[in-house]
Amino acid sequence: MSPWGARRFVADLLRGRRPRSFRAQDADLDELRAAITLRAAQPGSGVPREEFVADLHQRLADQLTGKHPTEDAEPVRSARPMVDTTRRRLVAASSLAAAAAAVGAVADHALTTRTSPTGGEAGPQTLVPNTGQWRTVATSADLTEGGVQSFDLGTVVGFVSRTGGALRAVSGVCTHLGCRLALDAPGRQLNCPCHTTSFALDGELLRHQLRVAPPALPQLEVRETNGSVQIYAPPGPA
Amino acid sequence: MARATGHGRASFVSACTRAGDRDGGRILEDRVPDERVADEPGAGAPLLRVVSDEFYPDWEAVYRDNVARVYRLMFAKVGNRPDAEDLTAEVFTTALRPLRVSASAAEVRAYLLATARTVLAGHWRRTLGWEVTTLTDEDNLEAAPADTPTSADTAGRAAAMLAQLPDSYRRILELRFLESCSVREAAAAMGISLTYAKVLQHRALRAAAALPEVSG
Repeated sequence: MSPWGARRFVADLLRGRRPRSFRAQDADLDELRAAITLRAAQPGSGVPREEFVADLHQRLADQLTGKHPTEDAEPVRSARPMVDTTRRRLVAASSLAAAAAAVGAVADHALTTRTSPTGGEAGPQTLVPNTGQWRTVATSADLTEGGVQSFDLGTVVGFVSRTGGALRAVSGVCTHLGCRLALDAPGRQLNCPCHTTSFALDGELLRHQLRVAPPALPQLEVRETNGSVQIYAPPGPA
Repeated sequence: MARATGHGRASFVSACTRAGDRDGGRILEDRVPDERVADEPGAGAPLLRVVSDEFYPDWEAVYRDNVARVYRLMFAKVGNRPDAEDLTAEVFTTALRPLRVSASAAEVRAYLLATARTVLAGHWRRTLGWEVTTLTDEDNLEAAPADTPTSADTAGRAAAMLAQLPDSYRRILELRFLESCSVREAAAAMGISLTYAKVLQHRALRAAAALPEVSG
């Protein structure tokens, strides 16, 4: 029995703090559970703070649009200062990797085999070739704010756009059956000539007439350097 | 029974309801003002994503529809906001990357729940070494609408637990856990000494823990 650890845990719960960990014994568990059950029944406790919801949304947007390509560097990062930041960061990094490994494979299978006609990998939807190089597809001057430009690097085709100052590149091949997408510049969308599927410039599915929704377009890594807009793509025929 | 405390402040039950907010400022800032709503995910997004109702049009829709559900589930299992926020964040950062929006809403929720189960288990393994609470087959993300503050299930379990306890035990637990009274406020409300209130709380919690069917 470790009464002090359990008591401190309960006291932290009552103060709305993150409970400190301790070497718990089997005999402590029922008490901790009772305390958690009671605490969870406080009126209004189950509603997340709006600030948290907005902050997490931003973090996810950054993650999914590849602003943090080193994906495991610091996955659970909070803009809000936390009481014991160091410990959280340490455990967050390791636990996320473990959790991802544990559920990733299952999710992969469950979510893609039945619903995605193209199957394939369900990992990050950013194309990172085994062997690649930064290849220029446009000059910075050509791609002004709100602009879109198609490119064909021989190995990869796609569209690069600049929205809100940020560059984004997506594959130019429909994820349904591989037809090449056409740019509808006024509509700011990419249309498939085969089955009237449309994607937004950020790769997301806008509409389709298929029985099963095709996945979003893969993203390509894009950068801007010395007045050139470059895509990370396999070398090959120009 | 309302009695004045040593600080001259009336201390009936309702006075403690929001005690957490003023408890040394430890419960952080107040709610964000309304202007933040404009920044809410999807607030300005075009509503022309006309994919079938059964599917989420994009990851933001997955997030918007499920963030409060995941948070509520996590809060019910850890009982405090900092952990509930971190675990909710971990669920989404883990789940959204491999997630294909082409899955149906039901499949997406099943997947989020599976991720939440793993994340919660990892949390307890790291912090206490025991799985204090788990997400079971009875937990789901669909039970309560997203705007219900606490799920009926959570409140029901607490009420069932309290109903089995003697009056004084039930009262101290209500004051401290549900109404967020400080020990001092709870003692004043019950007309007992500070020391006795602490002892009573400890005994009451232990009695609650000994009840059958109090499992997380």
